[in-house]
Amino acid sequence: MTVLPRLKSAILATALLASTATFAMAKDVTISVWAGGTGPTNDYRIEAIKMAAGVVERQAKIRGEELTIKIEAQTWTGWDDFKQAVTLAAESKKAPNIIVSGHEDIGPWSQSGLLRPIEDYVDFDAWPLNQLYPNLIDVSSYDGRIWGIPQDAEARPFFFSKSHLKAIGYSDADIEALPAKVESGEYTLYSMLDDAKKMQDAKVVEPGKGFMPRPNNGTDYWQFYQSFGGEMIDAESGKLVLDRQALTGMYQFFVDAVEKGVVPATYLGMTWDTWHQAVAGDKAGIWHGGTWHKAEWEAKWGLKDFFGQMQYSLIPAGNEKGRANTITHPLVYLLSTGGSDEDATLAAELITTASEPYINALHAVKSGHLAIGSAEASIPFYANDRWTSAATEGLLPKANAIPNNSDFGVVWKAMYKGLEASWTKTNSVADAVKAVETEVRNALGDKIVIR
Amino acid sequence: MRASSPHRANLLGLAFMTPAMVLLLGFFFLPVVLTSVFAFTNMSTATGISGGSYVVTGNLLRSLTDEGLDAKTIDALGQSNYVIDQAGLERARAAGVDAKFVAEIAERLKDRSFTSSSAFERELKTLPSRPTRVRDLKIAAGAFEQSVLNVRYASRGEMEAALSHMLENPPEGAIERIATASYTGWTWTTDNFKNLAIAPDTWRIVGNTVFYVVLTLAFNVAVGLFLAITTFYLPPAGSGFFSVLWLLPRITPVVLYAVMWKWFTWEDGFVFNIAQDLGLPAFNYMKGSVASAWTVVILVNGFVGASFGMILFSGALKAIPVQQLWASEVDGASRWQQIRYIILPQMRWPILFVTSYQTLSLLSSYEQIWLTTNGGPGSTTTIWALEAFKTALNNYTGNLQYGLGAAMALVLVAVGLVLSIVYLRLFRFDEMMSKPKIEF
Repeated sequence: MTVLPRLKSAILATALLASTATFAMAKDVTISVWAGGTGPTNDYRIEAIKMAAGVVERQAKIRGEELTIKIEAQTWTGWDDFKQAVTLAAESKKAPNIIVSGHEDIGPWSQSGLLRPIEDYVDFDAWPLNQLYPNLIDVSSYDGRIWGIPQDAEARPFFFSKSHLKAIGYSDADIEALPAKVESGEYTLYSMLDDAKKMQDAKVVEPGKGFMPRPNNGTDYWQFYQSFGGEMIDAESGKLVLDRQALTGMYQFFVDAVEKGVVPATYLGMTWDTWHQAVAGDKAGIWHGGTWHKAEWEAKWGLKDFFGQMQYSLIPAGNEKGRANTITHPLVYLLSTGGSDEDATLAAELITTASEPYINALHAVKSGHLAIGSAEASIPFYANDRWTSAATEGLLPKANAIPNNSDFGVVWKAMYKGLEASWTKTNSVADAVKAVETEVRNALGDKIVIR
Repeated sequence: MRASSPHRANLLGLAFMTPAMVLLLGFFFLPVVLTSVFAFTNMSTATGISGGSYVVTGNLLRSLTDEGLDAKTIDALGQSNYVIDQAGLERARAAGVDAKFVAEIAERLKDRSFTSSSAFERELKTLPSRPTRVRDLKIAAGAFEQSVLNVRYASRGEMEAALSHMLENPPEGAIERIATASYTGWTWTTDNFKNLAIAPDTWRIVGNTVFYVVLTLAFNVAVGLFLAITTFYLPPAGSGFFSVLWLLPRITPVVLYAVMWKWFTWEDGFVFNIAQDLGLPAFNYMKGSVASAWTVVILVNGFVGASFGMILFSGALKAIPVQQLWASEVDGASRWQQIRYIILPQMRWPILFVTSYQTLSLLSSYEQIWLTTNGGPGSTTTIWALEAFKTALNNYTGNLQYGLGAAMALVLVAVGLVLSIVYLRLFRFDEMMSKPKIEF
């Protein structure tokens, strides 16, 4: 008699408990993602996180949890406003959960306590993080900890207009052999200036369009410093380095380019649109950009036949002390200290899932960026894309990165100010170098080695 | 009826003044005070604004080695150990690690130690009750860590306690020294001013600023006066129309105004096409040459200021008794003589006001330059206020130097104050404000 009611109540209690458990497990989480330098061709920086959210939701469902993830995304096309927004939001404790930024921000942002070290949230021994390229993991590390997961990689090559090279006497075979000549150091930045001048003299390009460098500040300018033998960091002591000789060589090169008439003294500050229009429309002779520009030229600027119209190579050496080089500037997914630890755990899970080769390859191929891991490089969708595979094999192995150091921004700002001053002839090259030296010495003291 | 007491009148006056005082306090004194505080710090993106914490990092150990801290201490600080002891097990339980998992750790790994997190985590992953989530595994591992390396301590006390626990017989003063060096936040300094004084760039920007302010100001006052006087002599209907027309730069939103200037001076813009048709050099006038960039910057700001001057001068002109002009015409004075001997002498006060007001606003305004040339080509049209803004709040590398930027802003405040006093003396402000010698 007494067993049945007890059983009944037990069943009822279990059912009730089970139903509350289901309710308790229904969870809505909002994860915010902010990305800089993101335009229409690289929307997969955000889309990948949204796709990952779908996967993680399904995994939760299979486990019997009701999880809804809402991704709140915000993107900036440039860097100035984006970095300002992130920094000030973090100061007012409103930082987004996930930040997509350049790896060089890890230094200052980790010091200020803006970031959680991602190594505390993810497993680098497990898929898909265990197939990431080790050098990209290094780039995402600072002070012995891994702070971010690489989102993409790239190279920043030199580009040559094939038709204009032919107009000054290059044969098809010469054009084919050009990248190798650049790499060996036989073809230097000064050979390039001569060719640019010849193109202008042959009237195939307008005066001032023989050489069209990047129109504003960017990692690219450190490549020219390296072309003249400059190093950014001392491998042994880990200290920042300012090489006066290399800086002089680099500034002098741009002054010489101006004097040759292949680039105007007032070039810096030109708009990106003007630059894209000229280089994609075959109005420029020689220029440098990034692997991702190909996607932009095709999507927006009417480029039809990239391989027929352009040749590419490393950035040539400037003198015998320097080397042909290229810089990769990976963006990284970072975890901010904003939000709860629970949110950060989920955010890290999303980042890990978004790094799945199939998902990341969508970004790489669409935007002209390079694979972040070996498995991704062998996915047919990526491997069969001529440009990404050519750049992965030909350029990426020779690429190095700018250092992660909380003081590097000071050196960078001074370097670019000096470049502007000497390029526009506001200062002589010697005075510009002196000004950079004074500025970084005052600001950093013995934290920088000045050679 | 009793007359109200003077005290009450004073209180009433004070009550009327209160909103103004609150606004003054909130929008002038407070920013100036904050700027002054920031200016004497090394605040930047890396140090943060709200204060730092205490962390021993790899880089810190390297610099402490350079500064001569003994190798034994450095070694001890650099060690990262995971020890499975009773205290660790308790910490794991307190951190909410699954009891079954803790029990397995105690059973299988007790008294073992690991020198790296990855080795320890690999071992943990072999246990049957290991958590499915990576974060849970890391929290479990973290409970057994015995290291100060890369651990963020909120206060100096906590850091010193951790150091004392880690270091056996540290050298005299070593703990204090390490704790001081491990601070990640900002510190007080006067270096910002010292660095500004010796940086060669400073004087170039000062030169640019003086050039910009003097020329734009001259344009403001001269064109404002010219417009006011010419519209004064026009019939009322025509003068009203022209006044409104010249007000456009001031009433147009600044971004739209800047965009219009871009259309006007850009490649394929209005001036470009006209120049091309006339066979003159056609290029991007806003950024294509230093001279044209300066011209654009001065005109963009000049027209805004000129319309402001025009309104004030027109008002002042209307206050001049018209009988004086009639009398001068009877005496045969020309227009120029009227302007020179009647109008201009009576315009001293509005000219003083426009000059001093515009000097101060030009010194601190950068938005039009930022939106048009952005200080370029190169940095040839960069002025002090723009450089301060970029240094403190907006630059490509994201390296925001709040301290240095605030120091630059403070210099601007000081220059503004000095100039105000100079203007007041120069135009004999006290005489103008003194009571008239004849009672009306």
